[in-house]
Amino acid sequence: MQVTFPAQALYLWERRLEGYTVKLTVNGAEHFIDVEPEMPLLWVLRDELGITGPKYGCGIAQCGACTVHIDGMAVRSCSVEVGAVEGEVTTIEGLGTPDSLHAVQAAWVEHQVAQCGYCQSGQIMAAASLLEMNSDPTDEDIDAAMSANLCRCGTYPRIRAAVKTAASRMNGA
Amino acid sequence: MRAALTRGLLAAALISPLPARAEVQVPTGPAVGIVSQQEGLEAWDRIFAVVSHPRCANCHVGPSDRPMWSGDSYGRTRPHGMNIRAGESRIGAETLPCATCHLGKNSDVAHSPPAVPDDWRLAPVEAHWFGQSAPTICNQLRDPALNGDRTYAELAEHLGHDVILHWAWEPGGTREPAPGTLHSHMEDILVWGAAGMPCPQ
Repeated sequence: MQVTFPAQALYLWERRLEGYTVKLTVNGAEHFIDVEPEMPLLWVLRDELGITGPKYGCGIAQCGACTVHIDGMAVRSCSVEVGAVEGEVTTIEGLGTPDSLHAVQAAWVEHQVAQCGYCQSGQIMAAASLLEMNSDPTDEDIDAAMSANLCRCGTYPRIRAAVKTAASRMNGA
Repeated sequence: MRAALTRGLLAAALISPLPARAEVQVPTGPAVGIVSQQEGLEAWDRIFAVVSHPRCANCHVGPSDRPMWSGDSYGRTRPHGMNIRAGESRIGAETLPCATCHLGKNSDVAHSPPAVPDDWRLAPVEAHWFGQSAPTICNQLRDPALNGDRTYAELAEHLGHDVILHWAWEPGGTREPAPGTLHSHMEDILVWGAAGMPCPQ
């Protein structure tokens, strides 16, 4: 809806009173979005904010393609209602920049992990969250953390190698 | 690891408080001495039907850190898909928190992850129910060393205020709920307790 100030401010205020405007911080930017609070976070990111890194895969938190961070923890954005989000959301777009890639993104490039690439933003977000929690994961740790992110191309061996490379970079090796 | 555990424990804080079910009032149970052993054993049979039901037992897996998938909606019994491990924390804090998927509001959509306004988690190791016999679980529930140092009345109170337990009777969607109601289960605990917590042989 295209409305101008002060009508816009009044409109948003009324919608907030009605509970239809949601405040959301994504990749450091604050947004007030005119959506129903029950809308899945993934829908808001993709359709309302144009942040299309998180992908729609299954819609029921079974595949991990939609993985984003809320205050650093990986969550399935397809299954979280936007009105319930309290923390700061980070998507693949906010993890690093083209000039300064996150260690996981750099390792992904180095190992040429992606094949079709559809699941990869979710994979990278899951890996980044894992390394925040466990800076030196074993193969078993990686399997346990990443196995709920599905890759139909079967890039799992390269994913594991890239996670290990990223871990060693983050540890200063 | 402490940071990881803290993060896992705070997972629910990422999501604003949802309308949690109000604490359920514990019914008034019978006085000790007026319930026969037979009535106590009949109450135990109903309790066992609940605790052995997939809605409860799937996450009471004892020393294993792998939740189970069993019951009508799963077809065959098997460990939770995707190699999910709950770790020593029982909430997956070491690697992948349960709340990565089991977060926020319960979903009625088939095969979607259920959730409650609390950390989704496995039961403590001592509360090992999955695949266990009625006598084994019964003896476990009356042993303070294995039941969280609770009297039977405190077991009923525990049922009244822990929302993840309430979910068993309102699992949503096509998931089969645990038998009876939360209220009738608490009543059975109190009847069984008042009868001296008898266990089948």
